[in-house]
Amino acid sequence: MQFLQHFCEMLYQSSFGTMLRESNNAFSVIESVHVLSITLLVGTIAILDLRMLGLILRSVSVSRLARSVLPLSWSGFAVSVASGFLLFWAEAAKMYVNPSFRTKLVLLALAGFNALVFHTTIYRRAREWETLPVCPWRARVTAIASLALWSGVIIAGRAIAYF
Amino acid sequence: MSLHGWFMALAHSPLGHAMQTSRWGFAMVEMVHLLGLALLGGSVLIVDLRLLGVILKGEPAIAIGRDMSRLLLGSLTVMVLSGIALLSEEAGKCYYSPAFRCKMALLAAAVVFYFTLHRRALLRAQSEKPTLWPRIAAVISLLLWLGVGVAGRAIGLL
Repeated sequence: MQFLQHFCEMLYQSSFGTMLRESNNAFSVIESVHVLSITLLVGTIAILDLRMLGLILRSVSVSRLARSVLPLSWSGFAVSVASGFLLFWAEAAKMYVNPSFRTKLVLLALAGFNALVFHTTIYRRAREWETLPVCPWRARVTAIASLALWSGVIIAGRAIAYF
Repeated sequence: MSLHGWFMALAHSPLGHAMQTSRWGFAMVEMVHLLGLALLGGSVLIVDLRLLGVILKGEPAIAIGRDMSRLLLGSLTVMVLSGIALLSEEAGKCYYSPAFRCKMALLAAAVVFYFTLHRRALLRAQSEKPTLWPRIAAVISLLLWLGVGVAGRAIGLL
């Protein structure tokens, strides 16, 4: 942990980090890009989750929807990680001790783990259930977990500014 | 009562008073507003990418439009209600904010467009021959909703 803290302080004090932090516009613009890319990421994931719960697009097969939606989710993920890293760079020393930031990273890891479990287990046999209006309970559980965890990421992310 | 009068009435309402005095009220309502944004963004994107012919080409556009409309209306309701609560905290500031005025104009345009020309484009997309209009409608819709989001983000900055 000592190493992590030093690393965060090094980023914080670097000339690029200082420039970002002290700029009026750059930080705000990156922040806006971050918010919009998270909308893209979480919005598209929620579409797939709601489909698996049988709430929307019941007539569309799950794997077909996943093929349409997941490239959008990954694009949103790439942009939000890149913009998020720049925001982190500017505020690294503060982020290291920020409880909301830590919570957000833990929730993000859990959301990733949930997606990994889904894709390596239940989704492998999607052919058997992808056309059902409501998916099997194991798929529904991961859908609910996904909605809850990604909501948590957004809530914790917003809370960073309040600590 | 003038428009300014309505804004002042909201600021001095019990809701406004509660939002202004509570420690975490604004933060919590803001989080709800952002969760609504994610759902609204997702529903707009799916229906407009379908109109553009980028995704779900084999599925009837009207069926996708119907489900996405439900999701859009649900999330829009959450966003408008949480938005009114956010507004009540700083109605005086918002009344004079160019970003807020811009957001409201874009929101009105986006909603009106969605329920009129956009809906007609969805019906048109049903027909065999792919025409240009549904694609143009999708681009206009995406730009309008994106504009609402960007202007909304700018309220806190300008």
